[in-house]
This record gives sequence, structure tokens and C-alpha cells, in this order.
Amino acid sequence: MARIVTPTAFDAIDPKKRVRNVALTFLAVGVGVLVLYLLEGIGSTKLVQALALLAIWGVATVSLNLINGTLGILSLGHHGFMLIGGYTTGLLMLDEAARQRILTSARSTMTEETLALSVSNLLRGFGLEALTTPETLWVRFLIAIFLGGLLAAFAGLLVGTPSLRLRGDYLAIVTFGFGEIIRLTASTRLFSAYTNGALGFPGVTSEFGKSIWWTFGALAFTVFVISKLKYSSYGRAMQAIREDEIAAQAMGVNVAYHKVLGFVISAFFAGVAGGLWVSWLGGVRLDFFLFQLTFFFLVAISAGGTGSITGVLLGTAVVVFVRQYGDPLEESYSIQTWLYIASATLALAAAGAVLFRTLRRLRPRLHWGSWVLVGGAAAAALVAAVDPAVIEGTFRGFGMRAIFLSVLLIVIMVFRPDGMLGRTEFSWSWFLREQRTGPTDEERTQDAWLSNPAFGSEAGRAAAREQELAEDDTDAPEGSDDEGRR
Amino acid sequence: MAMLEVERLRKSFGGLTATNDVGFHVDQGEIVSIIGPNGAGKSTVFNLITGVYRPDAGDVRFEGTSIVGKSTNQVVDLGIARTFQNLRLFTNLTVLENVLISQHHRLRSNWLSAVFRTPSYRRQERAMREVATEKLGFFGPRLQSFRLHQPVYVLSYANRRRTEMARAMATGAKLLLLDEPSAGMNPKETSEITQIIRRMRDEGGYTIVVVEHKMNLVGEISDRVIVLDYGQKIAEGAYRDVVNDPKVIEAYLGKKAGDDKREELADG
Repeated sequence: MARIVTPTAFDAIDPKKRVRNVALTFLAVGVGVLVLYLLEGIGSTKLVQALALLAIWGVATVSLNLINGTLGILSLGHHGFMLIGGYTTGLLMLDEAARQRILTSARSTMTEETLALSVSNLLRGFGLEALTTPETLWVRFLIAIFLGGLLAAFAGLLVGTPSLRLRGDYLAIVTFGFGEIIRLTASTRLFSAYTNGALGFPGVTSEFGKSIWWTFGALAFTVFVISKLKYSSYGRAMQAIREDEIAAQAMGVNVAYHKVLGFVISAFFAGVAGGLWVSWLGGVRLDFFLFQLTFFFLVAISAGGTGSITGVLLGTAVVVFVRQYGDPLEESYSIQTWLYIASATLALAAAGAVLFRTLRRLRPRLHWGSWVLVGGAAAAALVAAVDPAVIEGTFRGFGMRAIFLSVLLIVIMVFRPDGMLGRTEFSWSWFLREQRTGPTDEERTQDAWLSNPAFGSEAGRAAAREQELAEDDTDAPEGSDDEGRR
Repeated sequence: MAMLEVERLRKSFGGLTATNDVGFHVDQGEIVSIIGPNGAGKSTVFNLITGVYRPDAGDVRFEGTSIVGKSTNQVVDLGIARTFQNLRLFTNLTVLENVLISQHHRLRSNWLSAVFRTPSYRRQERAMREVATEKLGFFGPRLQSFRLHQPVYVLSYANRRRTEMARAMATGAKLLLLDEPSAGMNPKETSEITQIIRRMRDEGGYTIVVVEHKMNLVGEISDRVIVLDYGQKIAEGAYRDVVNDPKVIEAYLGKKAGDDKREELADG
């Protein structure tokens, strides 16, 4: 058999398009920065805070997804690592009055020797006491965030090294347990000089946590590191572990090392997210770091798509939006209004589905599910408008936000089991008409080769083609992309 | 000196002795086939060599040094790679990624250089891609160009087998252990695999151990054949001699009625 080597493309996208995509990304980031600047100038505090929270939670979800999505390990202990980062940052960013308060309340339970190790000395030890003026405070903030991340990463190393031998559910339970252990340990007397027990402390400056520049800067750094890692050789090895641990090991991947590596990097960014979260809240309390937090992150990840960093960010945006702007849902309205709200929600969902399918060029554009949503919207509106018996009385929507989020998640899971973006990253080609119309030159070359192994006569070619047809050597066509997934 | 020496290898799972004092050697540049009925212990031998199981007794030496007790990925570092009987590809990753992953263990950059894409990392990544396309090139252009970027789950069964073999080659191993490389393939694909295995030895310079059930493939490629039955080596030699060995025929087909009695009489 002759050995034929066709020219091969190393890159999935051709370089020109890559340049264009990078240019478009820079443009989008530029526009985004401009919009943020204008928003801050206009002074919609609530929106700016929501955006800052989006960035902070984005750091947490993107880092959690390195474990859950890339390594394929279900980790439920992210809130524990965030707590470590949060308390560290909180302590290092305390203002003077708050520090005195902690020391006073700790003095009743602790000896002087123990106290000597506590907050004041912590600050002095790092030389951070000097950094209190507005001009230098940001240096202190950077150091505080970084140290928070480092401590969390160290905790990740301690937790990860022994437990990552476990698999699946067992590991999930262990990580959950460690998250809780970290939280409960922080509430003990031993640490009360640092944590002020379960009460925590206010008085952490929120100047940075509520600033979109700092939080989006942190998010950009996180996304940079984690996406570069994911799309490097190390990330490929981690994905191999997710796909098939035994095969990965048999191909020379040091499974234990890569698991711990991913876990530690993820814990580092969890610590950073914790620090930012504390700065956003302006104080520290143990119940800022409940398991609920990890749960919200998991919802965001599953809604957005575990295989996709942009998808995770999209999912986070949805969760944060519902959390920050869902409070009208918890008010008391007449049942008629509720029906109209339901109708509008369903109609919006249908519109969103159509928009999504149009952008992703999925056919049919009007999925039957969209018709169901439209039907539901029409029915709700009809009942609200027509039937006077139903619309009497009022209803207070306690917990409606959580219900709304759950329903949203169910809808996403029904229609997109892999999350909104699944395994694909956001791509500019969605917006630019780049749909394939026919085979590329490369595909034609290959087809010619496959039907012509001998490079012989026309007759031989026909025979070869027949043989090919007779055999089942045809690969599934491109686009059948849900087939064979787990 | 033999490249791979297996000495009195023994492994039991509870009461079942999977391999019992199996010993053989493989020389540089040889193609050796291991055959035997189902449950003879062929795959167990592979698992013992690659460190999936730890032998109860015996020794495995690769290029003179014992590799017993080494973990699977260390064995790959030393230069032994394998394929699996039931494909174990990274299904959701692309063909190219699959073949790149098996080269990851040779990467000489830490994760930070990978994140920041240092020149040294970029150079190695490019080299890895070249190796990947070279190894996939063994199978003609059918796994080249656009196929490189297709996820494995869209590939046909035969192409998955080919990808797995390319992946094993790309580890940089000198010795390849192929576990039923032609399982589930039609006659045309089997004969292609036969040629590929030959070319892997002749052009690629690999030494190859094959576990296989298809006798015509074994007959065509093997320099030597080792027959296992119930965990024991019952024959070794050239294909023609081995298939005519009465013990081998007995293992595959059983004895004629009354054979036992005759043997007893002969022994007595």
C-alpha cells in the first residue's frame, strides 16, 4: 500500500478567521469596558453591584467547573475553600475599629498568648498595617486576595491529596464533608481570635468588592488562566481523565498528579472568589459560606454547560440576574397579575428559545417545545383576561425566586441536557454566516482517496466505490452531534 | 538481549489462577502473537506487564530492568504502550486530541509555562502535533485533515480502532501491546490492519505483541506464537508448528472421547 500524506491542517480554524475572531473579541471587550464605564458614571448602583456580583460568582463558577467539567469530578466543597479565602481577605482588610472589636470580644475567651498570634499581629506580620491610605489600600487588597487564594490552594492540596483516590459519589461526599468541616472549624473557639466565632465581623472595606473594575479584572484573570490551562496539554490530560481514567493512565497520564493539580488551582480561585465575595458584602459571617453557595454554582454550571467556559459564565449571569432582580417575584399580587406574569415569562422563554435556535442554526427554528411555551403563555393570558372567578384574591410569592430558578433549570435540562452551550464555546461564527454548504477541498481529496485506493483505472475506481458502499466504513455525518454522547 | 522478558508470572484472583508460571521473551523488532481460548489469561498477561495488576510471583523485565511494581503511567514512560480489547478512547475529544494526550507524559514544561504559552511549550506542542499527524498517517489520509478535528464519537468502529493504535504509537513507546486489534472488523479492514501491523514494525520500528483470535491474521504477521490455556503456556513457536501441536488442538477443540483412557494406559 502506498503511503499517501495529504497536506494537513493542524488548526481547527483557519488562521485568517482566528485573527478575525481575536479582533472581534477585543472589540467586544472594548465595548464592554465602555458600557461598564458609562453605567458607573450614570450611577445605577444596583446594576453595578449586580455586575460586580456576576464577576465574583463568575470567578467561583469558572474555577469550580475546572473540577466538575474538565476533570469530571463532582466536588461539593467549593464553599469551604471560599470561606478560607474570604476570612483571610476579610481579616487583612479590616478597618481599625472592627479589629479592636474582634480583639475585645476574643479577649473574654482567649489567653493573651493566643491573642498575640491574632489579628493585629497578622497585619503587622505582613506589614499591611502601613497600607491604610486610599492610595495604598489597593496594594493591601491585592496582597489580601492573593494570600486568601494561596491559603485556599494549600487547603485544596491537603484535602485533595488523600481524597482524590476516591471516585464519583464517594469523592463528592468527601468534598462536601471537607467543606462543612472547614466551616465548622472556623466557628470553634480555637479560631475565634480570627473569626469572632459564628458572629463574624463587619467592617471589611467594600470599595473593591463593589467596584466592577476590580471584580471584572479578577474574572478576566481567572478566565485567562483557566481557559489557557484547559486548552493546553495539561487541560487535555485532565479531560482525558474525565473521559476514561484507566485509558488516561495507560497513555502515560499521571492521573493522581493531574487531579490534585486541577483541584489546587480550582481551590486557589475559589479563595480569590471568597475574598471578593467578602469584600462585596462588606463583612464576614459564617453563614455567608453555606453549602447553598456551592449549590448555586452547580446550578449555574449545569444551566450553562459543563464543557464550556463561556457557557458557565452565561449560566452564572442567569443565576445572578434571578437572584438580584427576582425580588419583585416575592411580593404580593392579585392572581390575575400572577397569570400575566406567568404568561409573559413563558412568552419570553419561547422568544429566547427561537433566538437561541436561530443563532445556533438549529432546525427547525420553531421547535415543538417553543409552541408548547407559546400555547402556555396564550392559555395563561386568556384565563387572566376572561375568567373572573379565577382572578379574585391575592397571592404572595414567598420563595418564588427559587421556584423560578428551579423551573428554569428544568426547562434547560429538558431541551439542552448538556446545558445552554453544552460543550461548545461561544463562537463569533454563530453571528457570521459561515454555515457549510458542501464538502471542503480536503474532504473531496479524502473521498477521492477512499474510493480509489489503487489510483487505477475508471473501472477499478467504480469497483472500489462499490466495495466501499458494501462495507460499513461510513462515518456519521457531521452535525449529528448528540449521538454517542454520554 | 531480549527486549521484554517475562518470567514465571503468576496471578490469581481469589481461587482462580489467571496466569500460572507464564514465561516468554520478545526480541527487538519481533511480532509475537499470544493466542488461546477465552479465559486463557491473555489479557491478564497484558495487564500484568503494564502494571494494572501486580503479579503474585514472577518478574517482568523490560530492556533488562524489572518493571514489576511500577504504575501504569511509569510503564508508559519506559516505553510500553497498549491498546484495549474494548476500545477505550476519549470519546468526546477529537481524534487529534486523543493522539496528543498520549504524548503529554513527554511534555517538559510545567503547567504555568503551558498557561502562559512559553516559546518552549509552543515548540513542544507543535512537535506533538507533527508526531500525531505522522502516526495517524499510517492509516492513509482517512484520519487526516478535517477528521483530526472531529470528535471520536462520530467515527466508524474501524476508524476508532485505528485512532487507538495511532494513540498508542504516539506515546513514544518501543513496544506495543495490541489487544485484539482486529476485533469487530470486516475481512477487508482486517487485512488492512494486518498490513498496518507489519508496517508498524518495518517502517515504525516498533516491537509488537498481539493478542488475537483471528487465526489468519496471526498466521500472516507472527514471527512467533505463544499459546496460553487456563493460565499456562502450552506451546510456543512458529505459527505452522504451533497450530499442528496436539496440545493446542486439544485446547481449542477438546479431546476425542476415550483419549483420556489411552493416555492413562500409555502413562501406566
